[in-house]
Amino acid sequence: MLINREMKSSRNAAICLALLALTASWFIPACFAMDASEASDAINQAEQDLGSAYTVVAEAERAGVNVSVLLNKLESAGSFLSEAYAAFGAGNYQNASLFAVDCSRAVQGVASDAARLKVDAELSRSDTLLLTTVGSSIGLILILFLGFLGWWFLKRRHFRRVLDMKPTVEAVL
Amino acid sequence: MNYESMKFFYAFSCAVLCLVVLSPTLAAIVTFPEGQKFSELGILGPNHMLEGYPFSISTNELCKVYLDLSNYMGGLEYYAVYVKLRNQSEPLPDPEAGLPSSLEPIFQYRIFLMDNATWEREFSFSFEDVSFEGNVSRVSRLSINGYDVSVNKVAVWDDANSGFYYQLFFELWIYNATASSFQFQKPFVGLWLNVTRPL
Repeated sequence: MLINREMKSSRNAAICLALLALTASWFIPACFAMDASEASDAINQAEQDLGSAYTVVAEAERAGVNVSVLLNKLESAGSFLSEAYAAFGAGNYQNASLFAVDCSRAVQGVASDAARLKVDAELSRSDTLLLTTVGSSIGLILILFLGFLGWWFLKRRHFRRVLDMKPTVEAVL
Repeated sequence: MNYESMKFFYAFSCAVLCLVVLSPTLAAIVTFPEGQKFSELGILGPNHMLEGYPFSISTNELCKVYLDLSNYMGGLEYYAVYVKLRNQSEPLPDPEAGLPSSLEPIFQYRIFLMDNATWEREFSFSFEDVSFEGNVSRVSRLSINGYDVSVNKVAVWDDANSGFYYQLFFELWIYNATASSFQFQKPFVGLWLNVTRPL
């Protein structure tokens, strides 16, 4: 009797599971389906993220930072965005949205890294500028001082030589 | 050497020495005029040469060209290349006025390029869904780099050149960080394609 009841309940559970598996194939895509506007929003967000990341990286590059690592991230994000647009054009909004999210993910942290590197580069540049300015100033002062000193010696030697060349009276007849 | 020439030579030597000592600081402060800034967009044939471009193509025929982009703008640039398709009566970009074509892009690339760097990418396409009715042909679908793109373009038979002509053209846009948007660049390149009836 007990065995019979257990068998019955396990059969019911199996039927329930089978039904759930069958209906899942209808509900899951409906839950995750993307429409054009959602995909478009994701692409716009990716576009914005990429644009702002590029702006900071370009500023860092102008400040003299070696941006090759950041450039690789931008390039891969750019490829994702191109793919997102292509998928969107083909009507595959699900993939378009996934590529757009990948794009945003690829540039995550790029702007902050670039900003930090830019500040470092600017600090190092201002240090170098200060050092060269101080070095040049000291060099200039030294040149002027030594120049005047040298000129004083040269002038003295020149006049002495001219005076030495002055005809002298050896004897009076 | 007389006194005057010695004085001149000495002053000149001191001035040259001063310039040498100041040169590192001057180099860091003074900005020199830069050369001409420009970007170059071009199409190469299937053999990476300026020849062998597709022209007369039939339905489902796979064509291949290469897109080439070079950056001589003096720094890192962010480009967009918009691919557009038009028939003979639809608008082209107006390079004189600096205006792009009003047509919607059917495909696009996003490219980051350092100064003096070049980007090259294969661009393959085929006209997938073409119908012919009298003196009109209609392209409904294009396959670009493996993606199906709906286009719905109509071309009327061109008596003078004997064909149904479509133009696939590429516009170059550069990202303007101040405006946070892309701006159209004057050069654009294109391919004329005569879509023929299948045999």
